Amino acid sequence: MSALADLSTSFVGRRGRLFWLALKTSVLTVLTLGFYRFWMKTRLRRFYWSSIRPGGQPLEYLGEPLEKLLGFLIAVVFLAFYIGVVNLILMFLSFALLQGNVAAYVLSFVGVIPILFYAQYRARRYILARTRWRGIRFGLEPGAWGYAGRALWHWIITLASLGVFWPRMTYRLEKFRTDRTTYGTVTLTQGGGWGMLYPAYLLFYIPALVTAGSVAFVIWFDDEIALIAMMISVPVALFGWVFYQVAAFRLMAATKSAGGVGFIAAPRSWRVFWIYGFGYFLAGLVMFSVLIAALILLGAVLGVSGSFSIDLDNIDSLMNAGLPFWAATAIGVAFYFSFFIGWGVLRQVFVTLPLMKHYAETLSITGVSGLLAVRQTERDRFAEAEGFAEALDIGAAI
Amino acid sequence: MTTIHVTDGAPQFSAYADFLDGESPVVHRVGINIDEGGPDPALVLALPGKPARRWPLAELRALRDQAGKDMLVLARQGNPLARLMVSDDEAMRILSARAPRLRHAPHAPGRGRLLAWAAGAIASVALIILVLVPLMADQLAELLPADGERALGDTTFEQIRTVLSENPLAPVAICEAPEGLAALAKMTDRLIPGTTLPSELNVHILDHDLINAFALPGGQVILFRGLIDAAESPEEVAAVLAHEIGHVVARDPARIALRTAGSVGVLGLLFGDFAGGAAVLFMTERLIQASYSREAENNADIFALDLLDQAGLPPAALASMFERFREAGGEAEGLIAHFSSHPALGDRIARAGELTQVSGAPVLSVREWRALQNACSPGDLTSGGRQRESRKK
Repeated sequence: MSALADLSTSFVGRRGRLFWLALKTSVLTVLTLGFYRFWMKTRLRRFYWSSIRPGGQPLEYLGEPLEKLLGFLIAVVFLAFYIGVVNLILMFLSFALLQGNVAAYVLSFVGVIPILFYAQYRARRYILARTRWRGIRFGLEPGAWGYAGRALWHWIITLASLGVFWPRMTYRLEKFRTDRTTYGTVTLTQGGGWGMLYPAYLLFYIPALVTAGSVAFVIWFDDEIALIAMMISVPVALFGWVFYQVAAFRLMAATKSAGGVGFIAAPRSWRVFWIYGFGYFLAGLVMFSVLIAALILLGAVLGVSGSFSIDLDNIDSLMNAGLPFWAATAIGVAFYFSFFIGWGVLRQVFVTLPLMKHYAETLSITGVSGLLAVRQTERDRFAEAEGFAEALDIGAAI
Repeated sequence: MTTIHVTDGAPQFSAYADFLDGESPVVHRVGINIDEGGPDPALVLALPGKPARRWPLAELRALRDQAGKDMLVLARQGNPLARLMVSDDEAMRILSARAPRLRHAPHAPGRGRLLAWAAGAIASVALIILVLVPLMADQLAELLPADGERALGDTTFEQIRTVLSENPLAPVAICEAPEGLAALAKMTDRLIPGTTLPSELNVHILDHDLINAFALPGGQVILFRGLIDAAESPEEVAAVLAHEIGHVVARDPARIALRTAGSVGVLGLLFGDFAGGAAVLFMTERLIQASYSREAENNADIFALDLLDQAGLPPAALASMFERFREAGGEAEGLIAHFSSHPALGDRIARAGELTQVSGAPVLSVREWRALQNACSPGDLTSGGRQRESRKK
């Protein structure tokens, strides 16, 4: 049975369908004062998951909007207590003892950091628990506080070492997550070691050091000659950052295994860099064109046209020119929300989808005969969904 | 959608599809056909080497929001695990036409339990915002030392000046014409004997059109230029000042500042603006509008009437200032909202005014009153009431 061929992955999601789905759900989200966002997230994930077909079989996303809403509400209760009561006490102590609010803000933020890591792990657990491939559930064992503690510790080491130990953090945290990830009855294992990430990291770290050195030079000697060095080092560091992310994904995928099943990921840094750059450029271009068109249309409709210059004073005078207050407000609010809806939808279409497509299409699965031993596992009843991540607004992309 | 009528005489439909049993990740190639016999027609899945499975057509559900139109992923109602992937065009068309509830949403389990949780969560948040935070804020406000209260007031004063300004780099100016400040000091000195202030009183005028006034923690009282412009007499300004001193004496501002600090973050959280700028904005807004409790406002009124009485000033000025606010109309905020929502209160003050003998001299001389009106435009003493003239156009 070991002669089974490797499975390649196809991606069938198309921009047009995603555009309409994202637009429709975004508009509904605004109309329902944000409540539809749990449905929106669910529907977008169904779309993306079903787009990815390793070995021709689509992934299935089984998350429910209502459990997301519930998780959000539960998280809000805890965070309301934290923000309401703890912040109140911090604010009081800060003013009573230090006559200022800086200490309160700093402590309050520091207090949230462990919750952020906790939320990240829980969100991942929820998403994996609601993902199936070939009818078999993925899963992530509980361990959010352990993860939060380790993440904090690695961040402290990384910051204290001025970034030298960043690859160690990348590897260790990924290993923590991977070693607890299950596919049916099989548990994944992260092999390799953190040393393997260093060659790729240098392409980011060296230009980043040059940039930091140049900034220090400009501040220290008040000589702007170092800005020339930054003109090279900043773009290289940006590319280096993408290069590192892609390489880390590739290297760590190659060293993951699950009961004889292995992975080959071959995403290309230039492609990813291009998707980011070109995708955001296109999204910005479309937004800008639509904005201009909308302003011209507004001017024409109101008959106050004559000059189509777009400065804020002009809009102000448009608003004051005989429009009732509620109408002006409605137009303003509509503009405001349209902007965020438009940007969110375009980002899905021009950045998220192409990225996911590239990562999917360059992934293959090896040692397929290992799948034969896999059996189904119990459903992870995880009612809180990704509530904390939702409430803290992290990992909100999809 | 094309509807295909399969009649008795039609050729028997059959195709192949991929079947997942939800027990192992092995994909089974199965033959499918529709069994018309019996009361509920069913899709029959012929698994090699196993008994055929019958999925009644009425129980077939298609997964929603799927990306690929080349594949129909089917589930059976009540069976969360098994899946049938149909990629054959003909089969997809026939199933779409024949399965009556293919596009229905699958029944989500445990909806009642979820809703119960949701109600509980909302109740808890309401409890925290409406009961716990105000209770703690009231207690903590009593404990706040004078230095801390002053710092709290200073911080919020700066925030308010920034928020009210149209230019974020230039906060709203504090009016500092020396004659105007002298007149203000005279007015304050007339009022405060006989009060027990928690800390030194500090009155400022802000160069802004709002017809409003408010008190901040640490004994600060802020009058807007718009209020002085709207007043017909210095006694009316004194009446508002007396009302705000009432809040200072009761330490209402510290209480509300702490309350807001607690509850604003929670509200920001609910509306997806965690630690965002809107929270700060809202907080300062709340302070300006000073939505004190009705009880606190009434106490401040009673306090103001006593204070005016003691200072030998006409309490009726409070009532006429209230009339002024009502005339200004439009945006009823804070103090104005308080007055305009309590016309009975105005009557009460008016009656108090009739009963009280006004014993003292006017609070300011004509020259001092003009100086106060021009506190925001120094060196312009000749054109008294400039702002008011322009307002009345």
